[in-house]
Amino acid sequence: MKILLPVLLFLFVGSTKIDPTIPNFRLKDLNNRTVSYEKVKGENLTVIDFWATWCKPCIISMPEFAEMDNEFEDEDVKFIGISIDGPRNQAKVKPFIKSLGIEYTILRDIDTSVMARLRVSAVPTLLIVNSDNEVLYMHEGYKAGEEVEIREKILELLEK
Amino acid sequence: MKKIFFSVFTLFLFSFLPNETLGQVYGTNTFEFQLGNLPFEDDQYLTTSYDQLNLFYDADKISFFTKVEQFLTPHQDRNYFELSQKQFQFQDDHLRIRIGNFYETLGYGLLLRSYDIPGSVYENEFDRTRYTFLRDLEGISVSANGDWFELKALRAEPLNNLIPPTFEPDSVRRPDLVEAIQGNFYATDQITLGGALMRVNTPFSGDFQEYGSVISDIQLPFNFQLFGEYAFSTSSEFLSFTSQNSYALYSGLNFFKDSFGLSFEYKDYSNFLLGSAAFNDPPSLIKEHTYPVLNRSTHVVNTASETGVQLEIFYNFEAGHSIVANYTSATNNVFLRQQFYEYFLEGTYKVNETLSLKSFFDFAKDDPKLEDNRISVGFIADKSLKNTRNIIIDLQYQIFDRQFEPDKTQNYFGSLSFAFNQDLTVSTVFEATTDILLTDNPNTLLDIEEEVRTWLGFNSLYKINSSNSLAVFAGKRRGGPACTSGICYEILDFEGVELRLNTRF
Repeated sequence: MKILLPVLLFLFVGSTKIDPTIPNFRLKDLNNRTVSYEKVKGENLTVIDFWATWCKPCIISMPEFAEMDNEFEDEDVKFIGISIDGPRNQAKVKPFIKSLGIEYTILRDIDTSVMARLRVSAVPTLLIVNSDNEVLYMHEGYKAGEEVEIREKILELLEK
Repeated sequence: MKKIFFSVFTLFLFSFLPNETLGQVYGTNTFEFQLGNLPFEDDQYLTTSYDQLNLFYDADKISFFTKVEQFLTPHQDRNYFELSQKQFQFQDDHLRIRIGNFYETLGYGLLLRSYDIPGSVYENEFDRTRYTFLRDLEGISVSANGDWFELKALRAEPLNNLIPPTFEPDSVRRPDLVEAIQGNFYATDQITLGGALMRVNTPFSGDFQEYGSVISDIQLPFNFQLFGEYAFSTSSEFLSFTSQNSYALYSGLNFFKDSFGLSFEYKDYSNFLLGSAAFNDPPSLIKEHTYPVLNRSTHVVNTASETGVQLEIFYNFEAGHSIVANYTSATNNVFLRQQFYEYFLEGTYKVNETLSLKSFFDFAKDDPKLEDNRISVGFIADKSLKNTRNIIIDLQYQIFDRQFEPDKTQNYFGSLSFAFNQDLTVSTVFEATTDILLTDNPNTLLDIEEEVRTWLGFNSLYKINSSNSLAVFAGKRRGGPACTSGICYEILDFEGVELRLNTRF
C-alpha cells in the first residue's frame, strides 16, 4: 500500500515515451474569443511562454521574446504568450502587454488547467514545440542573459 | 482503494498500446518529504511525506485524467491515499464535454470560479494534513462555440478546499450543487455581450437560490476597452444597489498608447458570499505583490460588503527601464465601517545588459488588520556574471502602527541568491519581526514574549535533467498569508528540513 504510488510511477516512466506531444488546447485571447492551439501555432516552430503580470522574471524576459518574434518571423516561428493571471489581475493583461510592445498572440489560462496539462509548474516557463506538436525544449525561470541560450536553441532547432 | 487502483491501472494499460494509434500517457509527480515541525509545538521532528501523481491520457479528441495523492505521517488519523480527481473529456473545434473533475469560471468569477495552483502543497492548520490546494468542480460540463457565440452549461459540486481529504464523510467537502448556463455573443468584432443563470441547491434541504448576471466587453476607439459584469440574486431587486440586496458589480476600463498602459477597476459587492463553500471569487481589486513583506500584507476581499477602486499605470522605457504605480482603496461595512488603502510605486532601472536595479515604496492603511501608517520599502539588485552565473540581493523593510499597541511593529527581509548555472541555484533567506502576534509563544498564556523573532533558511534547487528537479530547504521558514495567481491562503511556519522532487514523464 505505502509503496503503491512510487511503483506505479516507476512503471509509467518505464513504459511511455519521454516527450509526449501537446494536445490541441483551447483558450481565450485578449478579445475574449476562444481559439485553439492548432489555429495559432507556427508552421515551423512555436515558442510558448507561460507568464503572469505579477511575475518579475517574466516581465524582464518578454521584451526579449518580442525581439525574437520579429527576428524569426520569416522562419515561420511563432511566439505565443499564455497568461495565468486570474480574475484578480485579468484587467491589467492587455494594457500591460501593449505597453511592452508585444505583438504576438496572448492567450489566457485563468484556471491554469492548460498549464497543468502541459506539465508546467512555475512561471516563467518557455516551451519550444515543433510542427508535430512535440516539445523539443523547456526552459524554467529566467535570468538576464538567458535569452542568448534561447535564441541559440531556436537557431539550432531551425537547422534540423 | 479498489477504484483508485482500477483507474490508475487502466491508464497504465493504455500506456502499453501503440502511441501512434491510441494516444499517449504522460504526467507529473511531486514528492515532498519533511523532517521538522511548527515552532512552539512539542511534537518535535515529525516526519511526513506527500506524493501527488497526475496522469493524462490523450487519444485524438478523447482524453482522461487522474490525480492521486498520498500522505504519510506517524499519526494514522492524518494519513490518506486518495484518487482526488478523475476526468473524461471529449473536445473538437466546436464542442467540449467534460465528466468528472474540471475547472470552470463564469464571467469574471462573480458567480463561480475554480482554479488549480500547479505544484502547490497546502498544509491544513487544524491537523497538519498536506494536500493539493485547488478548487475544482465535480460533475458534468458541456461547452460549444461558433463564430459568433459561446455557450456553457454545467451541473457540478464545487470543492471546499479548506476541509482536508481525511475528513469523513467525503460529501462534506462538496456541500453545494451548482447548475449553470452561460452564453457569450460576439455582436461585432468590438462588442461581446453575455449572461449567465445559476441555481445553487442548499445542502440537506430542498431549497435553492438563483442568480443571474450580465456581462459586457466593448473595444472602444483610441485603444480604450470597457468591460464589466453585474451579478445578482433573483430574489433581490434588479439594479438596486442597497445593502439589503444581494449583488456584485464589477467594471473596468483599460487604455494603452505606445509604452503607456492604464487599468482602472471599480467594485461594489453586497451579500455575495455564495454557497456553503464560497465558490465564487469576484475580482479583489487589490495589487498582487511578489515582494514577501507586501505579499503577506494583502487585503482579503469581503464580498459581504465591499466597495472600492484600483488604478494602475505603467510605462516601459525603450532602454528596459519601467515604472509601475498603483492606487487601491476598499471599504467594508459589515458591522462597522473599515477602510483599506494602498499607494504603491515601483521602478526598475537597467544599468546595462548584466545589471538591473529595482526598488519599491508602499504606503498603506488596513483597518481589518488594525494596521495604520504602514510603510514598506525594498531594493533588489540583479547581476549576471559570466557563464550564466547570476547573483541577486533582495532587501525589504516594513514598519507600521498597530491599534492598541504603543510600539511600532517592524519586519525585515533579506535574501541572497546565487545561480552557478542554469541547473543549480542556492539562496539564503533571513527574516525578523517585532510583531507581537508572532513573537509571543502561545503555549505560555501568562507571559507575553516580545523579543525579536528571526528566521534563517537555506534553499537549493538542482535541475537534474529536463524531467527531474530537486529542491532542498533547511532552517526556519516564516509562514503567514500568501497569494499565488490571485489565490490567497495561509502558509504555516516550518522549522526543519524539506526535500521536494518534481518529475515530468
